[in-house]
Amino acid sequence: MNKHATIARQSEVGQEYEAFLFHEARLMDNHRLEEWLALWDRDCLYWVPCNAEEVDPNRQLSIIYDGYDQIRERVRRLSGKFAHAQQPKSRLIRVLSNIEIESADDGTITGHSTFVLGEVRLNRQVTWFGRNEHTLVRTEEGLRIRRKKVFVLNNDTPMPNMTFLI
Amino acid sequence: MNKPTSPAQLAVSRGLSIDDLVEQRRVHSAIYTDPEIFELEIERIFNRTWMYIGHESEVPRTGDFRLRKIGRQPVIMVRGKDGAVNVMMNRCLHRGAVVAEVESGNTKFFRCWYHGWTYDTSGKLVQVTADAGYEPGFCEKKGGLARPARVEDYRGFVFASLSDDVLPLREHLGQAADLMNYLIDFSPTGKITVNAGVNKTVYRGNWKLVGMDGYHVNYVHASVVEGWADDENSGIAAMHKNDPFSDEALTRTRDLGRGHVLLDFREHRMASIDKYVDFLRSIPGGPTYIDAMFAAYGEEQAKRNLSLAGDPHLGVFPNLQVLGNQIRIMNPVGPDETEVLMFPVLLDGVPDEINALRMRQHESFYGPSSSGSPDDAEIFERAQMGMNATVNPWIDMSRGLNREIVDVDGTRVGRISDETTQRGQMREWKRLMSMA
Repeated sequence: MNKHATIARQSEVGQEYEAFLFHEARLMDNHRLEEWLALWDRDCLYWVPCNAEEVDPNRQLSIIYDGYDQIRERVRRLSGKFAHAQQPKSRLIRVLSNIEIESADDGTITGHSTFVLGEVRLNRQVTWFGRNEHTLVRTEEGLRIRRKKVFVLNNDTPMPNMTFLI
Repeated sequence: MNKPTSPAQLAVSRGLSIDDLVEQRRVHSAIYTDPEIFELEIERIFNRTWMYIGHESEVPRTGDFRLRKIGRQPVIMVRGKDGAVNVMMNRCLHRGAVVAEVESGNTKFFRCWYHGWTYDTSGKLVQVTADAGYEPGFCEKKGGLARPARVEDYRGFVFASLSDDVLPLREHLGQAADLMNYLIDFSPTGKITVNAGVNKTVYRGNWKLVGMDGYHVNYVHASVVEGWADDENSGIAAMHKNDPFSDEALTRTRDLGRGHVLLDFREHRMASIDKYVDFLRSIPGGPTYIDAMFAAYGEEQAKRNLSLAGDPHLGVFPNLQVLGNQIRIMNPVGPDETEVLMFPVLLDGVPDEINALRMRQHESFYGPSSSGSPDDAEIFERAQMGMNATVNPWIDMSRGLNREIVDVDGTRVGRISDETTQRGQMREWKRLMSMA
C-alpha cells in the first residue's frame, strides 16, 4: 500500500473504533444491558484494576476481573429487580476523548481512550474519570470486545457504589 | 446563649443516658445518628479498647510501613530494625504534622517536612534541624513519636490500644482468636499474606450498621440468591447448599463475649465436608492443596480447617471482621459516614491457582462493583435515612430472644437469623460507653 492508502486505511479503522466506543458508551449510559453483553466476544476479559493501573491480577485484587460468564452473570443480576444499589438506577452521561489506536491488523484493533462520567443517583452527583484500553476483534457479526481494561482514577480511594456499567 | 438546637442537644435535653439508649430488646436510633454520641464513641470505644491495626505480613521488610487509623487518629505500622512491628502516632512532636504522608512504602526515616525533624523506624527523634536553637540533648529529651499504650499481636494480627486499662490481647479476644485460626490454618503452613491490595469503600451510614447479620441474606442479597437457582453447583452456591440461612439449618449466631460475634457455619459445613473436599480436589491446584493440608494437619484436623473455607465470619469488636476471603477494617468517619477496607488474604504454601481463585471469589461479592457489598452499603444508607424519623425512635433487636440459649462454653447461641450477634455487640457497646 502506498502512504496515502495507509493513512486512509488508518483513519477508516480509527473511525470504526471510535464509533464502536461511542456505541458502547451509549448502551452503558442507558443501561441497555443485553445489547452491551452482545458486544463481547465469548473469549474475553473485562478488567478494572484496583489500587493502581498495573497489577498482577493473580496476586493482586481487582475491582472487576470478569470472563464472559461473569459478565453475563453481572448483566443478569443488574437486569433483575433486586440489585438494590441500582434501585433507582444511576443516571449516567460519559464523555469519551483522547481516542488513539495503538495497533491494528485485519483481525484486531487495540486502542486507548479516556472518559469523564457524570453519575446522578439519589440526590447526589459523582464525577468519575478513567482510562480505557479496548481490544476489538473482527467477527462475522462485526466488531466484538476481546479485552477491555478500565483504569478508574480514584481506584485507591474509598469508593461509593460503582455497580453501574463502567 | 441561644445556640441552634442540634440533634445532640435534643438527646441531652431528653435526658437520655447510655442506659436508656440500649435495652435488651431494642436500641434507640440516636446511637446511630447523634453527633454527640459519636464523639463519645470515639473517646470511650475507639480510644480505649483493642483496635486491629494490620497484619504483620503487610510490612515484611525492615522499614516497610502502612498508614492506619485508631478511630480517627492517624498511626503508622512499621517494621523496625529489630524486626518488631511498631505502631506509633503519625504526628510530629514539633507542630503536629503527619510525618508519613503516603499510605505505604519503605523508608529508613520519617521526616516531617514542616521543619525537617527526623525520626527513625522505631519512632525515635534522631535529628532536629539547626539544633543550635535548642539546648544540648534536646532530641533525647523529646524521645520519639508517641505510641499507643499497648501493642500486641495474635498470630500476626497486630492490635493497639490507646488505653493501658485493657486485658492482655489474647484474653480480650477469647474464643474470637480460636475462630481467627480458621483463616490462618486454611494455609497448610499456617501462614497468610496480606499484600494483595485493598478494596476501599465508603457509605453514608453509621459504623455499627456493618454488624454481623444472618437474617438479611435472602433480602439484601436477593439478586445473588436468585442466581444460585441457575447453577447450584457453582462457587458460592455450592457452599451454600442446604440453605445455611434457614432457621432449620445447623448454622448458628453466636455471641462470644466482649462484643465479638460469629455467624457459626462450623457444624453445617462439617456435615458436608467430604463433598467440599471433593470439590476442592476438582479445581486447578486443588489436589496439591488438599494433599498439603492433609500432610500438615492430618486428615481429621485438615478437614476441620478446610470446613469453613478460611471464612470464620467473625466480628471482632469494634473495627475488625474476618469473613469471606478477607480481613476487613471499619473506620468511623462521622455518625453517618463509614469507611470499609477489605484486604483479601493470600494463603502461604498453596498453588498459585488457589490464590488466584481467592481473588476472583472475593471480587465477585465484595468491592464497589461487586454483587454483594454494594447492596449491603445501599441498605445501610437507607437505614441511616430512615432513622431520621424519630417519632418512634426504637430499633428492634429482639429476634430470637425467645429461643436463645447459653451454650456449655458460655457463649450465647441463636438460630442463624437471630439477633444474638447484634445484642452481643450492643452489650459491649453499652459496657464501654458506660465507663466514664
